[in-house]
Amino acid sequence: MSTSYPTKGSASSVMTIVTTTAPALEAHGVRRAFGAVQAVVNASLSVEPGSVTALIGPNGSGKTTLMLMLAGLLRPDGGDVRVGGLSPITSPKAARTAVGWMPDVLGTWDSLTCRETLVTFARAYGLSPADADARAFSLLERVHLADLAAQPARVLSRGQKQRLSLARALVNDPPVLILDEPASGLDPRSRVELRDLVRELGTEGKAVLVSSHVLAELDEMVDDAIFMSKGVTLGEAADAEVARARTRWRLVAVEGDLGAALAKASRDFTLEEVPQGTAAVVSVSGDADAAALVAALVGEGIKVARIAPVGSALEQAYLTMETERR
Amino acid sequence: MTTTTQPPVSAAAPSSARREPWRVSVAGVRLVAGLELRQRVRSTKWKWALVSVAVLIGGITFLVWGANHAFGSDSGGDYGGPGDVVFGLVVFFVLFLGLVVSPTLSATSINGDVRDGTMAPLQATALSAADIVLGKLLASWAASLAFLAVALPFITIAYFDGRMPALAMLTVVLVLAIELLVVCAIGLGWSALTARTSASAVLTYTTVAVLVAVLPIIFGLLSVTFTEEVTVTSSYREYVYLDGPDPESAKPGDPRPAGVPDNAQQDEQGMYYVCRDNTYTSSMPRTDKLWWLLAVNPYVIVADSAPSPDWSPDGYYGDIGILSGLKQAVREARVGPSTSFDDCDYQVSYEEQQRRDRIDSLPAVWPWGLAVQALLAAGGVALGVRRLSVPYGKLPAGSRVA
Repeated sequence: MSTSYPTKGSASSVMTIVTTTAPALEAHGVRRAFGAVQAVVNASLSVEPGSVTALIGPNGSGKTTLMLMLAGLLRPDGGDVRVGGLSPITSPKAARTAVGWMPDVLGTWDSLTCRETLVTFARAYGLSPADADARAFSLLERVHLADLAAQPARVLSRGQKQRLSLARALVNDPPVLILDEPASGLDPRSRVELRDLVRELGTEGKAVLVSSHVLAELDEMVDDAIFMSKGVTLGEAADAEVARARTRWRLVAVEGDLGAALAKASRDFTLEEVPQGTAAVVSVSGDADAAALVAALVGEGIKVARIAPVGSALEQAYLTMETERR
Repeated sequence: MTTTTQPPVSAAAPSSARREPWRVSVAGVRLVAGLELRQRVRSTKWKWALVSVAVLIGGITFLVWGANHAFGSDSGGDYGGPGDVVFGLVVFFVLFLGLVVSPTLSATSINGDVRDGTMAPLQATALSAADIVLGKLLASWAASLAFLAVALPFITIAYFDGRMPALAMLTVVLVLAIELLVVCAIGLGWSALTARTSASAVLTYTTVAVLVAVLPIIFGLLSVTFTEEVTVTSSYREYVYLDGPDPESAKPGDPRPAGVPDNAQQDEQGMYYVCRDNTYTSSMPRTDKLWWLLAVNPYVIVADSAPSPDWSPDGYYGDIGILSGLKQAVREARVGPSTSFDDCDYQVSYEEQQRRDRIDSLPAVWPWGLAVQALLAAGGVALGVRRLSVPYGKLPAGSRVA
């Protein structure tokens, strides 16, 4: 970051405020073409320090291309990218090293052990041999590969390679993390661990941008979501769609006229046929509202079996937008 | 930190950013070289490759030595000349093997890593493109030098078979090492230019083949095609035929028989002859305008840079070895066609002596060849650095970032 410390008095309080509000990762109107193919048409996003943002979109929507530009590997044709305030064009190395990038392609040096791989990368970021060793050790612990530290990378399973790749992205302790499909190929347990790790990294103050196809996983991981389609990041329309999806709850009753009771409670709803009893998707604004609704329904003599949000909000929003754009 | 509003960035990077990929750090180069070597040493049947090379070179050395001695030419002896036949052949075989082996090490090192997906994570680190390229070059050179090290004992054996100056041993090994470096750099350049590893391997071998074989062939064809009419003076002996007593019975010191011209000379048998000059025009190859086609040849560079044994004063053209012979041939080509042939005198004619002096005073050919090869090598490295500089502007056709 370009640091110019104020010289006089009380400006320090201003500084702290600014630090917390300045986005660690920013893109405005970024575009990039490969020959005749316009991979990214117009992408804008902003990730705050200490937050996790999802980048969601179908295959070929330009997610990976956008991430490459953010990681400082690809030059945008236009628009502005800032990593910690630095432009990858005017100060490539500084911007590059402020980012931990986990690519969607798994490339490992087959002959090197996990530990050697991480030590090599740590050294490539300029760490001293001793620091690199310590860093590799702690990262292997963190991604649960410590017992495989001395194994050559070629014996690793896909999921283990994925975790090694994640450790690699963390090796220079960057303020910004860009994770391209980190969950692909992971078993359920590893996914939970990944989710916890990403949340942890967010809590540590890192700005995390993560793309994934497993939207249900993302739901519990991210603070914010950016949808991308045909090279364009969808702004407020997508946010509204996610907000709308978050209010959709499913309610199952085993007895009573659910439709009538909901109409009486003046709720938007659609009834669904279920094998036992009736179900409805209802608009609910949150946990408190759900409790109030259940209380009202019970008062009407409805026997409520369960009430819960309808699946993943991100997934619903994604699917809705997909059908709209088709 | 202050919230100075960042000015919008134009697509053109400032010059400091453009120079960044070219910045070299010793630690970075060493890191990449170490990584490359560890990758290779563990992944290939390295020991077996070296052993088979040793067996191959050893076998060839033995055969060359045996063949040379079977023909009775006692190298190192008084009649065998300086005897760099064994030395020269072994050195050339090692060069041949080096030219074959070196491209396999470097010609896939960039596009192979890109294909395997191991390049982009490395580019994303603090390493500069120059660090990565030079590290890779250093590693592939080091691996080629391992082959040279295996060949070294046999070169030494061959050296002691002849009478080459001690400096020749040193220069030959040094120049061999440089040639391997050049080939590694050329391979690196091609692996930067092409997306497929098979293409870069083929192109690297093609480049080596052009230097080694195609240019000499072009030299040959051009020198046959582009000839020039030159006036040639040749002198020959015109014998004087006498009716008198058998000249063989004449003793030296006898008075000249009648009818022998005053300018006549006597040959070994006592026959009288007169030197006659004959002037005619002949079409001669202009090798003096084409010699540079040979100068970039690795074999010529190795031969020309090796110090020759001292010429025996009477056997100027007699002391033909492999290295010295090639060196002499290229220098002959450089001086151009001889326009004077003297079949009359015992002594070296004035014109011939002049020609020999000119050849001896010629500056060496190898610095020119090595300079051109250095340009090729630098070009290969520059292509590699440009290929790996991030952020990518234009991507090479058929390749992706990661």
